[in-house]
Amino acid sequence: MSFFKKKGSCHEAATVAASGAKKVALVGNPNVGKSVLFNALTGAYVTVSNYPGTSVEVSRGSTAINGEEFEIIDTPGMYSILPITEEERVAREILLTERPHLVLHVLDARNLERMLPMTLQLIEAELPVVLVVNIMDEAARMGLEIDIPLLSKRLGIPVIGAATAKKIGVPEIRAAIAGSSSCAVPPFTYSRLMEGDIAEICQSLRGEYILSKKAIALLLLQDDAEVANLVRETEGVWFPGVQTVVREKRFERRESFHLDLSMERKAIVKGILDGAFKAPEKRVVTLAERFSRWTVRPATGIPLLLIVLYFGLYQFVGVFGAGTLVDFLEGKVFEEHFNPWIIEIVKLYVPWGMLQELLVGEYGIITLGFRYAVGIILPIVATFFLFFSVLEDSGYFPRLALLVDRVFKTMGLTGRAVIPMVLGFGCDTMATMVTRTLETVRERVIATVLLALAIPCSAQLGVIMSLLSQTPGALLTWGVCLLLIFLLVGLLAAKVVPGETPMFYMEIPPMRLPQFGNVLTKTYTRMQWYFMEILPLFILASVLLWLGKITHFFEKMIEAMTPVMASLGLPKESAVAFIFGFFRRDYGAAGLYDLQTKGLLNARQLTVAAVTLTLFIPCVAQFLIMKKERGWKVAIAIGLFVSGFAFGSGWLLNRFLLATQLL
Amino acid sequence: MRCGFCGHEFEEHEGNVGCKNCPMSSGCKMVKCPRCNYENPPEPALIKGLKKVFSAKKKTN
Ligand SMILES: [Zn+2]
Repeated sequence: MSFFKKKGSCHEAATVAASGAKKVALVGNPNVGKSVLFNALTGAYVTVSNYPGTSVEVSRGSTAINGEEFEIIDTPGMYSILPITEEERVAREILLTERPHLVLHVLDARNLERMLPMTLQLIEAELPVVLVVNIMDEAARMGLEIDIPLLSKRLGIPVIGAATAKKIGVPEIRAAIAGSSSCAVPPFTYSRLMEGDIAEICQSLRGEYILSKKAIALLLLQDDAEVANLVRETEGVWFPGVQTVVREKRFERRESFHLDLSMERKAIVKGILDGAFKAPEKRVVTLAERFSRWTVRPATGIPLLLIVLYFGLYQFVGVFGAGTLVDFLEGKVFEEHFNPWIIEIVKLYVPWGMLQELLVGEYGIITLGFRYAVGIILPIVATFFLFFSVLEDSGYFPRLALLVDRVFKTMGLTGRAVIPMVLGFGCDTMATMVTRTLETVRERVIATVLLALAIPCSAQLGVIMSLLSQTPGALLTWGVCLLLIFLLVGLLAAKVVPGETPMFYMEIPPMRLPQFGNVLTKTYTRMQWYFMEILPLFILASVLLWLGKITHFFEKMIEAMTPVMASLGLPKESAVAFIFGFFRRDYGAAGLYDLQTKGLLNARQLTVAAVTLTLFIPCVAQFLIMKKERGWKVAIAIGLFVSGFAFGSGWLLNRFLLATQLL
Repeated sequence: MRCGFCGHEFEEHEGNVGCKNCPMSSGCKMVKCPRCNYENPPEPALIKGLKKVFSAKKKTN
């Protein structure tokens, strides 16, 4: 690593990019409005590229201030100058290799106390720092008072109050960029013991570094491997001496150095904020904040989740969407008016019987495919996506991730797996693709199995709920079965698939009231996407089913499946729903809906069919994605396992229900 | 745009692509958050157009 070469003064260190522009690095935690500021500063000409050798993306843009060109770099979110994640590593490397003319540390005014320690680290490293206290408008609304000039005096660096989302403070930031930057000399000190330790290490360092020796000493004490390597290179023969001092100091503190340091930094921050930061006497805990806390604690979070599921999923999607709306659209509009009318028209104008059958027959494109898509699936996904978008816009999902993190850990997953699971309720296919973002292969395999097996997609979920809600016992049985299977398979998978569960850490964005416009936009976009995707598939499926019918292949398949259906205690007609289900999960569920309205299933059969169908083979699309993401072997193994498991569970459930006479 | 999961703010073009090779369709056009990979629906062209008109008006005022 050649980047830690000689360090002169800051002004010397400021580099000039190839284009001749001075560089300005934006640093800070995620969610502090860095990207918004970046956009406000740069405008149109932005390049996004992976940082060399990593999967981390870095955006660069340029801006002209008073005729001078500056390159603005938006670094990945970092919490500390001591990196843990790859993002943080990249962010630090940018600070070091690119030697910015100015480092803009952006932080959230509402979390000043928590984020200032990083400012201390930047000052201590003697980087040319300007602090941007962002989101001042929200902070003011919460009753927080921040004395910017006093803060600036105490930190010894320029501080700018801003609300970048409203463009407040952007001119001042531009002025700061154009102004001459100066090295900050830390106006604060640690305890005598700590300073003594630092001084001893600093004395043993003979080389020249970009970061101040104090910062290097602290990073060495914190066991930063990259910095240790760098010091080894720079110090050469003197390195063992440095190492001895560092080891000695670390030993004296019994490895509690991290804690000691963070306590001291917290104390310094407290001192700096004393009088410069005022929270109202009775801090205004906004309703959103209080609510936010309730959502992540198991004692309140689980009941809340159940309430959300009951009203959102059961009442709104199940009863209203899949009940009322479907009854109207499918029952009234299609069955009573549209279908008889179109059938008559087709019979009148299309003389060929085969073609009549294709268009308006039992499995006709219009009478089956179109009716399923528009009459059954559309109202269900519409209500589901509406509910989903409300939850999404309120910021509930990351809280859900924290809440379930504990349960997921026992299954070898982390809260991060909530993303694919939640998406799975929308569409398992895209959710399977998203599993690639999970950290370990083990997590990905477990998540893929669970998605294939126990997570029904939105349309399937809606149809099944509307069906089963007519017999509440059936719905309860279905719910309990799936939950048990989800947990059981998760636990088993965690046992079978070797490996460790990674750590999960997540920054939570603030909760807010969903915005009507946002919710509608998202719902509309999702529905449009979904509808565009399913309509051709439904039509294709209709054609295939029609082909199957005229060649009698379909009858043979139903015939072949009759024993399987019989073993589940189901009438042979239900084989149709399973065949549909292979094309698409929602298609299968819609088939079940048809059987039910024809009065072919009793409560027990309905429950067994619903459980088996929910567990049953992922649709073709999901299977292909599994193959793509995990390879043929894993995909086929999962497919076989899931099918066997589904029918096994169905059989068991049927026996159980027969024996207990519960339904 | 703002990620619906983690709240990360990013430009639409910064989103990760990934479903372009989905076997069942020509890609779902969802915009994946560069931080957490959550799939966000893109802003429909209609709304984008409206926003542009309004922001242009604001600037001229
Ligand atoms: Zn995100």
